[in-house]
Amino acid sequence: MPTIRQCATILVMLAAGTAMLLGPPDRVAASQAKQDNLAVIVNQANPVDNLSSAELRAVFLGERSHWPNGRRITLVMMEPGQPERETVLHDVCRMSESDFRRRFLQGLLTGEVLVSPKTLSTPVGVRKFVFNVPGAIGYLRPSDADDSVKVIKIDGHSPNDADYALHIPLRAER
Amino acid sequence: MSERTQLSMSGSTASFAPRVGKDPGFFSRYSSALLLVLLVAMEAGVVYFVIRDVRSANHEVQRMYARSVLGLRRIGSLQYEAQETRRSTLYALSTSDSNLQVVYADQSREADSRVSKGIKEYLQEAQFQREVELGQRLQRDWSDYLGVRNEVLASILEGSTKEAVALDLAQGIPKFDQVRQDLEETQRLYDEQASQRLANVAALSRRSVLQLVFVLLCTVFLVSIFVWVLQKSKMASTLQLARMQMDFAASVSHELRTPLAVLCSAVDNIADGVVSGKEQMAKYGTVIRNQSNQINGLISQVLLFAATQDGKGRYVMRPIRISEIIDSAVTGTSELVRKAGFVLEQHISPSLPKVLGDAPALSQCLQNLITNALKYGEKARWIAIDATCEETKDRRNREVRISVYDRGKGIDRSELPRIFEPFYRSPSVVAEQIHGAGLGLPIAKSLAEAMGGRLSVASEVGVGTVFTLRLPVYEELNENQVGHARKDQR
Repeated sequence: MPTIRQCATILVMLAAGTAMLLGPPDRVAASQAKQDNLAVIVNQANPVDNLSSAELRAVFLGERSHWPNGRRITLVMMEPGQPERETVLHDVCRMSESDFRRRFLQGLLTGEVLVSPKTLSTPVGVRKFVFNVPGAIGYLRPSDADDSVKVIKIDGHSPNDADYALHIPLRAER
Repeated sequence: MSERTQLSMSGSTASFAPRVGKDPGFFSRYSSALLLVLLVAMEAGVVYFVIRDVRSANHEVQRMYARSVLGLRRIGSLQYEAQETRRSTLYALSTSDSNLQVVYADQSREADSRVSKGIKEYLQEAQFQREVELGQRLQRDWSDYLGVRNEVLASILEGSTKEAVALDLAQGIPKFDQVRQDLEETQRLYDEQASQRLANVAALSRRSVLQLVFVLLCTVFLVSIFVWVLQKSKMASTLQLARMQMDFAASVSHELRTPLAVLCSAVDNIADGVVSGKEQMAKYGTVIRNQSNQINGLISQVLLFAATQDGKGRYVMRPIRISEIIDSAVTGTSELVRKAGFVLEQHISPSLPKVLGDAPALSQCLQNLITNALKYGEKARWIAIDATCEETKDRRNREVRISVYDRGKGIDRSELPRIFEPFYRSPSVVAEQIHGAGLGLPIAKSLAEAMGGRLSVASEVGVGTVFTLRLPVYEELNENQVGHARKDQR
């Protein structure tokens, strides 16, 4: 039978372990600070400034084919494995890489999707693509965007807002 | 001197004065130098025009290079970049890789920005209306093409290749052809401008060549004239010298022959016993002495002239009183004056300053002037010596003026410049058989100049003549001038 003293020691250790797992308040803030937001960009000529999460999902799943001005939507994705792409698949499309591919393959075969997403290897390529194509939509870290493209709001929040929905891990420093 | 004489003398001086210093032979004397100056001036003038034309041609070439050559180079560059813009767009069509398509789109945009920049520079430098119009049209057409190009690029990147090709065929190619035509027209414009400037340069070069040929011909012509005038002048001088020497020889011979003839005749008479008695013998002795003195005087004058001309006269320069010079000259010629029955008046201002010179030389100078007045004084038989001290023409210094007046026949205006030439004798004097070797006045002038002074003449035919000897005042000479004068005479 454990003694009272042993029980007290176990309780103290459990309390300390719990405290270590939860961590202090400043450590929580530090883990949030390690995340970056993901900006959704369109061509400067595109009149759209804001999309809801649902509209964004419809666009990225190919369910919506044209912008309000009549321009055909061209989806620009980064190559598989890139954190930006994984964020969009996870947070916007809410599906895995294979599900996403399968969906577009099926859509093209059935005619539900008219144009497959364009895949670019670098953020600069994405930005330049969106700059050149009036109906293009893509995504970037805010630091990769510039005045050549327009960053739109999601659910009324810009990437600088605290309530912005799309987050990705910070880029690893070289 | 009597008051009447003074007035008369003053009047004569005033009437003579304007002619002193006049030199009617200036142009003939300096004709060679004037011709040379004229030649140099003409050459300088034409060379100035040649240089101006050459500089104009140079500027024209520089303008041609700056405008036409650089302009053509710019048009060439624009043509290349415009092609590059289109070529990159077409490269994007040739691949399905979106990454490569973006790279080609980027290249096309970089090339088109260079074209736009080039057109803007062209418009900024455009000077003529046609250039401005052409530049604006090029800018408009290029902008139109870029609009189509952007749509084509967008279609390519979207993956709508068919749409892109259709759009390019329908609009892209015609618009680009328009741009190409604009660039070719701009090129033609530069070509025309370059041709025009080249023609200008060629015209300027031709004109410069003609001017140079003209300069050379003028140079040859004027140099020929110059050489001809120089040779003629030298020949004339040589001939004149030879003639004067002949005249001198004849004159001296003539002057010697007369007393020699008298001497020979006297000696013959004595030798033949024609002369008898003490009285006759004394008379012949006097004749022989006079003729001998005349010969001796002539030879002395010739020797004195030679001494003044070789520049090696031995003078003892010292401050001398004017009265000392005049007294010496008057004493030396008193016997001649007396025998000729002349009246010699002197008017010497009191307290005249001393002059620097050699007393015997200055006395000889004055004696020559008095002897000259005796020879040509004619019936008036009056000579006056006037000595004053006055300011020089530039009013900086003073000078002593000794003037010798006569009321003789005077000297013709045309002969005034020549009377100081050695051996020169006026034809009228020769005709009147007035004896002389033509050396008295040249000797007087040489002596005056050797003393740092000047000798001038004023004369009026039928009124008289005045010779004026000007000598600088000793007190106003600085040390350098005194030293220089003394050194020159060593």
